[in-house]
Amino acid sequence: MTRSVRPFQKESGSLTAFPYVSRKAMPASGSWSAASLSSFALAHSSARTGRITQSIRRYSPVPAPEPSDFGVVPGYYSPRPAPAHGRTMRLRPLRSVEFMTRPKGIEAVGLTKRYGDRTVVDNLTFTVRPGAVTGFLGPNGAGKSTTLRMLLGLDAPTRGHATVGGRAYAAHTAPLHEVGALLEARSVHPGRTAHHHLMALAHTHGIPRSRVTHVLGLAGLTDVAHRRVKGFSLGMGQRVGIAAALLGDPATVVLDEPVNGLDPEGVLWIRTLLKSLAAEGRTVLVSSHLMSEMALTADHLVVIGRGRLLADTTVADFVRDSAQGVVKVVTPEAGLLSELLTAPGVDITSPAPGTLEVRGTDGEHIGRTAAAHSIPLFELAPRTASLEQAFMDLTRDAVEYQATPLEGAAA
Amino acid sequence: MSTPAHRVTPGRVLRSEWHKLWTLRSTWITLLTASALTLGIGLLMGATYTTGGGDGDVDTVLLVLIGIQFAQIALAVLGILVTAGEYSTGMIRASLTAVPRRLPVLWSKAAVFGAVTFTLTLVTAFVTFLTAQLFLSGTDQAASLGDPDVVRALTGSAAALTLLGLIALGLGALLRSVPGTVGAFVGGVMILPEVLAMLPYDIVGDAVEYFPSKSVEALVSAQAVPGAASPGAALLALVLWAAASLTAAALLLKRRDV
Repeated sequence: MTRSVRPFQKESGSLTAFPYVSRKAMPASGSWSAASLSSFALAHSSARTGRITQSIRRYSPVPAPEPSDFGVVPGYYSPRPAPAHGRTMRLRPLRSVEFMTRPKGIEAVGLTKRYGDRTVVDNLTFTVRPGAVTGFLGPNGAGKSTTLRMLLGLDAPTRGHATVGGRAYAAHTAPLHEVGALLEARSVHPGRTAHHHLMALAHTHGIPRSRVTHVLGLAGLTDVAHRRVKGFSLGMGQRVGIAAALLGDPATVVLDEPVNGLDPEGVLWIRTLLKSLAAEGRTVLVSSHLMSEMALTADHLVVIGRGRLLADTTVADFVRDSAQGVVKVVTPEAGLLSELLTAPGVDITSPAPGTLEVRGTDGEHIGRTAAAHSIPLFELAPRTASLEQAFMDLTRDAVEYQATPLEGAAA
Repeated sequence: MSTPAHRVTPGRVLRSEWHKLWTLRSTWITLLTASALTLGIGLLMGATYTTGGGDGDVDTVLLVLIGIQFAQIALAVLGILVTAGEYSTGMIRASLTAVPRRLPVLWSKAAVFGAVTFTLTLVTAFVTFLTAQLFLSGTDQAASLGDPDVVRALTGSAAALTLLGLIALGLGALLRSVPGTVGAFVGGVMILPEVLAMLPYDIVGDAVEYFPSKSVEALVSAQAVPGAASPGAALLALVLWAAASLTAAALLLKRRDV
């Protein structure tokens, strides 16, 4: 089962699809009048009373920040003042208009990584567009983390290149504004408190303390901010990483397996957060080996296996394709029926004598064909593959570490 | 469009490394240990010294600062933790994601560590010397800051310890493992020269005088040590060792995957 690889498409008008393009119309920074600020605030607070904002408020694990937190910090302004109708836990912007008007998204071109004679990532080309959550799927060892590390300039590709926001990651003057990344859960010194960890990162960009407090609150870490990360659970450690990713108000968010170790509430929080980040026009790339999780969160899918691109598709297409499923047929005339059903696009296998598994056609067609030729059917059972099954079918040949049945277990 | 207000500058990376250094307990523990060892052993030497006890030929500054033999290990461990500690914990990924140009992180680490270590060891050296001299007045090891080369030797001890720590910091960035680097430092920098000095070749013996541990000794002595390098040459040797260690670390930091 292969899917078409979508080439990089330049969508010149795509920015207008995002809610924050109206920032273009804002006056240049530094010339804010009270009138323009309040009219802008009005426009935005009305635009933001959507479902996502409300669900964030409902599921947010922590109390919302005081509205006074939205005040102007010297050196920049907050273009989204507190809405009048109540508090939200939306990620506050740190800086001004410009990032929404810059080219965004992630582009990987022929990305290849070899360690010795082992090719971990093999000629990977894909595009991640802003305004949507893109799931980066693959079984363990497929090369997801290596690809993400190459995007962030931590690993150098053997061949090919990757750009984030139109440039190589290292070429950005303010990388934390460009990309917020959660790599392996523990990219934190366990001896430091969550607050100091974030402060250390914030200092490199001159990001103020208030912002650190804000993202810690957003991640539900306010109460443990001054405890050393050493004592944190896996899920809390994950939240520290996510807080760090949001620190710079990034145009692109890259999260490697963010739901690992999170409790159900945390998983729900991540889903809502990712969707709201995408709704704000940000580029969101989330890796996972769980198709079911991605089906709930992602709009778009990039599936890899053994370092190769297997699918670059929308979740909707993936669901539709996988819904075709398999029809199990039990008949004494398996050979004849198999011949009759053979057609382009129809795949027939015989897992046991007298049993057929037919892909690419439906039960009705099989039943009518059998009836027309007086073939008795003992069983005609369409099985709709789950998303998880579809994902496993897609990646079966590409699984790096396949479990083998235990000896004797079959006996 | 204008560049964002919150961009990376060398000063900000320096500020970040300063923050990182002081927000770990290991920093306080190693620095206090180094100071306490220098001061404690110095006072012990002063309090127990008797004229004619057989130590009359020992250099007066070297005698009271004999504790730096142990302090240097604590400071080297700190230098190693500053770099290799980030690799052991995974923090380096966060650091280099924030500063993807990478080298400013290394330079800032070296600068912050160097400044802190030099200040602390300088103050410790003077305090140790002055308090130990309270006990030593009236003995043949009585000396004052006005004596020739005493201030030079005390300042030299701070420079020597700082440079030794920078060698360790560079090694830590090269080897990226705390235990591995501590082993390499103790074995390669502290023990190896002693072993080499036992070889019956003059050229090896001469070369060993410019190895870090021997250079430290030459720098800390107020009187010239017979057969050893001059203080100026010893300082130069240490600077070159530290520069070599940091340069190698920088080259690999730029090239290697994290």
